[in-house]
Amino acid sequence: MMTRRRGGISDQAAGALLLAALIIFVLGPLVCVMVWAFADVWRPPAFLPAEWGFKYWGLVLARADVRQALPVSLTISAIVTLLSAVVCLPAAYAFARLEFPGKRWLLLSFIAVNAFPRFPLYVSIAVFFLSSGLIGTYTAVVLVQLVFTLLFMIWIPAAAFRGVDPRMEEAARDVGASHLTVLLRITLPQAAPAIGAALLLTFVNTFYDVDGALLVGVPDVRTLPIIMLSLITGQIIVQYGAVLSVMLWVPSLVLLLFARRLFESRSFAAGFGA
Amino acid sequence: MVASIGEISAPAGRRRAARQNGGALGLALVAPAFGLMILLILLPACRSLLGTIFPDGAALPSLKSYQTFFADTRSVSNLLFTIQVTVVTLAILLTIGLTLALYLRFSQSRFVGAIQIIALFPLFVPGIVISFALIRFIGPTGLVATTLHVLGISGYQTPYLHPSGAIIGLVWENIPLTIMLLTAGLAQISNSSIEAARDVGAGWFRILSQIILPQLTRSIVVAASLNFLGIFGSFTVPYILGPAAPQMMSIFMQNTFSERHDSGVAETQAAVTFLVCLLVGVIYTACVFRDTARNGKAG
Repeated sequence: MMTRRRGGISDQAAGALLLAALIIFVLGPLVCVMVWAFADVWRPPAFLPAEWGFKYWGLVLARADVRQALPVSLTISAIVTLLSAVVCLPAAYAFARLEFPGKRWLLLSFIAVNAFPRFPLYVSIAVFFLSSGLIGTYTAVVLVQLVFTLLFMIWIPAAAFRGVDPRMEEAARDVGASHLTVLLRITLPQAAPAIGAALLLTFVNTFYDVDGALLVGVPDVRTLPIIMLSLITGQIIVQYGAVLSVMLWVPSLVLLLFARRLFESRSFAAGFGA
Repeated sequence: MVASIGEISAPAGRRRAARQNGGALGLALVAPAFGLMILLILLPACRSLLGTIFPDGAALPSLKSYQTFFADTRSVSNLLFTIQVTVVTLAILLTIGLTLALYLRFSQSRFVGAIQIIALFPLFVPGIVISFALIRFIGPTGLVATTLHVLGISGYQTPYLHPSGAIIGLVWENIPLTIMLLTAGLAQISNSSIEAARDVGAGWFRILSQIILPQLTRSIVVAASLNFLGIFGSFTVPYILGPAAPQMMSIFMQNTFSERHDSGVAETQAAVTFLVCLLVGVIYTACVFRDTARNGKAG
């Protein structure tokens, strides 16, 4: 990478063109929302807002539905992340470090989770919950969101566990450290960054989930994205949706800063079978 | 004990450790995750499929619920619409994804880093946020419309609430996954094979069609199948950006389940979707598994 030779003119031109198109298509919509969130008065087709400010931030934060939904969303996301870690991290360790009968078939069955279309599966789960009286409960929302955290929480930590040099574990074991000591003092600390990224990813994905929460939570459990959905489809005041978008997006940006390198590595794509 | 390929290729130290542990610990550690998967994925999906064949606890199997589904013009048009949207989105995604991935792999320009960052950026933007953002971008009073207005160009037809609106949103959302899968595949193609072809005078098109694409087939199949399943089972983006009729199957199901409270019919709609996706799901799983078995590693 360091010794990369600069390409020719056509190479540079193609790159500039692709980059410009990507910036317009990927960042354009997000810039729009940023501007709307700080527009006190804006009457399209005017190109820019007439007045800027934080007026709508106050109004959004004062809304009762937003105030009720925020703790609900945070609590559910935290519980899902915790449960997911408890259930998946041991499995990740086992897939990375242990040999056991049927390992290949168990691996296959986890990969096959990707092969289910998501929303129809939620519908199946919702019908199942309906017959068990779980619709509209926190339990239902937590369980439905747990489904799609399974993969992230297994693949990313498993890749990290595999990355820990087995010779270091062997060495510790040779000087008399127990399995548990090796795990706690050698393996876990080295895998910690990737595990942290997986936890963050699970938390953020759960926080933003609309599909599962809408199907099994409404009307009794209303998360923040559900409130946002009603504000968007209601279309009364554009700024409400814009302010909530920017507010909701903050955890995502944290994720971006922490985990960018992870997503550029092969281990993330490997979770999808790359 | 079943010897897996991973064990054969594992270093001696790991093999010894594995023998010491035996299989019981490994199985015990995997069991909770596996149990949860059976309970939350396999059980509901099988229950739905069985429930549509044995309606209301009937003893004899019947395809009546499927006959009702396919006799209803609205159901059929929604199913066909979903297939159309999925195929068109997939074609656009693969075109964009291949262009970008090839550029990222072979370009030596200064823009490679920036292109990669921006192409992966949608990974960090939730579906609900980008759906709203796209309304403000391509909607009737969005940035595209006002820019054209300022430039004095009239006649802008907004894709918002049209099939193209849903397609634009789904393309936006799925660019990162497509690029990640294709770049991972391209990374495995050696420079030397390409240089060798160039040395014997092969042009870019020949190198692409006879050296790169054949080696990339597996990645393209994985990217295509995974995107097919993702788009077919998507809800938020087409719900916000797409038309009210015809609907994508997910929105149709949500309507049936939450608004018309007809869980039996919703289950049939879900089952039909499962069956359409079954072939693609099997292709994906087989493709990934073959490789997993060969390398003896997870994914």
